[in-house]
Amino acid sequence: MVGPLIPMGVIPETWNNVIALLLGVGFGFALEASGFSSSRKIMGTFFGYDFVVLRVFFTAAITAMTGIFYFDYMGWMDMSMLYINPYYVMSAIIGGIIMGFGFALGGFCPGTSFTGIAIGKIDAMVFSGGLFIGVFIFSELYPLFQGLYNSGNMGGAKIYDLLGMRETVFAFLLIVAAVGMFYGAAFVEKKVKKVEY
Amino acid sequence: MNKRYLLLAGIIIALGVGILFMPAKDTSKQTQPELLLAAIDDPSRFLSTDDITDRLVKKDPALMVIDVRSESQFKAFSIPGAINIPADSLLSASAQEILNQKEMDKVFYSNADVTSDQAWIICKRMGMQRIYVMQGGVNKWFNTIVKAEKPAEAAPIEAMELYQFRIAACQYFFGSPLMASTPKVAADKKKVSVVKKKSEAASGGGC
Amino acid sequence: MKRDGTFYINPYLGGILLGLVLFGTYYITGRGLGASGAVKSSVVSAVHTVAPVHAEENKYYSKFLSDDASPMSNWLVFEVIGVIVGGFLSGTLYGRLKLRVEHSPKITGKTRLIAALAGGILFGVGSQFARGCTSGAALSGMAVLSASGIITMMAIFGSAYLFSWIFKKLWI
Repeated sequence: MVGPLIPMGVIPETWNNVIALLLGVGFGFALEASGFSSSRKIMGTFFGYDFVVLRVFFTAAITAMTGIFYFDYMGWMDMSMLYINPYYVMSAIIGGIIMGFGFALGGFCPGTSFTGIAIGKIDAMVFSGGLFIGVFIFSELYPLFQGLYNSGNMGGAKIYDLLGMRETVFAFLLIVAAVGMFYGAAFVEKKVKKVEY
Repeated sequence: MNKRYLLLAGIIIALGVGILFMPAKDTSKQTQPELLLAAIDDPSRFLSTDDITDRLVKKDPALMVIDVRSESQFKAFSIPGAINIPADSLLSASAQEILNQKEMDKVFYSNADVTSDQAWIICKRMGMQRIYVMQGGVNKWFNTIVKAEKPAEAAPIEAMELYQFRIAACQYFFGSPLMASTPKVAADKKKVSVVKKKSEAASGGGC
Repeated sequence: MKRDGTFYINPYLGGILLGLVLFGTYYITGRGLGASGAVKSSVVSAVHTVAPVHAEENKYYSKFLSDDASPMSNWLVFEVIGVIVGGFLSGTLYGRLKLRVEHSPKITGKTRLIAALAGGILFGVGSQFARGCTSGAALSGMAVLSASGIITMMAIFGSAYLFSWIFKKLWI
């Protein structure tokens, strides 16, 4: 079976929602079991007392990336059929900065706040409520942001193309960088005073 | 440092080294310059005005005739059944949606061959399949179909049949024959269908 | 295994699990995971129900209302329901189910909730600009080495690092 299965028509679309639910269960379980339902555990990454976010996030990214590379190499999956989010230069950077600000105040991101809701965190519920308000505000004020939102469209650009690098080289460097960060994180964690939460 | 972590780090770095040795793949969906050049050299993208007309008359469901001239020119005169995508909006999202129909034969035309051929190259470069150019454009279409020239009396029978087909097609599109006299066309209707079958066989081989 | 809620799985194991889920998502659907997209779909359909004319006139909502809008927007709603179920399963397994406000001892619960609301609003706005949040844009984008994913990820973590020191009092 050559993936991606649904775009290739291997799995009928009627199974879409069932698959979504099952993958979501896996996603939610992995997040909650790693401790992403606690905002103070998440924020540990920025103060150096608990690097769980850094570890989980980069391990997940390089695991999935490695899987995709090997499956593509074996011919089990067509990498070029995967959806790539379009890159709008200014919009991506400004959106990222606003999200970072929200992260520092709220201590969650959307995915983790949903796992927080699942275990009864009231702050996560309030955060999610804020998400809805935020999306509503953006949509209502869209005419103001429209120019910025649509400027600098580079399509589904790949990072290695922008850097003028071969994709395999970039993938290798990303893995090395991730392992280096894990090592650094363990080093910093030893130095920083533990915070009870 | 925990030994198990060293092992994990070793595994992922080894996998990374493996990735490093994978052959570089061209992930861009654009056609390679060499292939594009070969495709431009190949005249099979040109379809004749008679072929298109024949398929229009038969209401071929897999045929999409695209006028790449400006909207004002399209409104002034266009081939019946054609849709208008001006060449400068060829890359817009709505145009792409129309063009991204794999099961359709997409035929571009402009006044002559230049703009339609440029549109063809753009779409070819984007990797589209089943795209063609109507040779001679709307000018040739008008001259051959609408203002069909009657062959000389001594002309071979094929030329005469082609002429009658053109007249009939013109009548089909515009209701009244512009050039031919009414009784003659009426008398020739049976012959027209014979000609159509012939050209179907011809175009069937061509596509 | 302790069931008092203090046990978390090894972060690398968690990361590999999450990575396999993400890989599976790409293998099956050809797309990555997401979270903010579900919020967007809900807001769009809620506004469309309450004020249909307004939603169709608004240039942003109408993008997602047309007939040819991505069916994946529905997909994300189901995925997020799954996330809540998965989180609940894990919370039950490790004994973490408890209705409470988690906050630093230096601030009151009320301050925490106000900060959470403000953070949520900002995250909601930012995720629309970046066309995805930490899961949809950053994590999924990194797995396929997309420029948007890696740039968004650096912007989120860079700015979060900076702002978290400004708002240090909220946390430690």
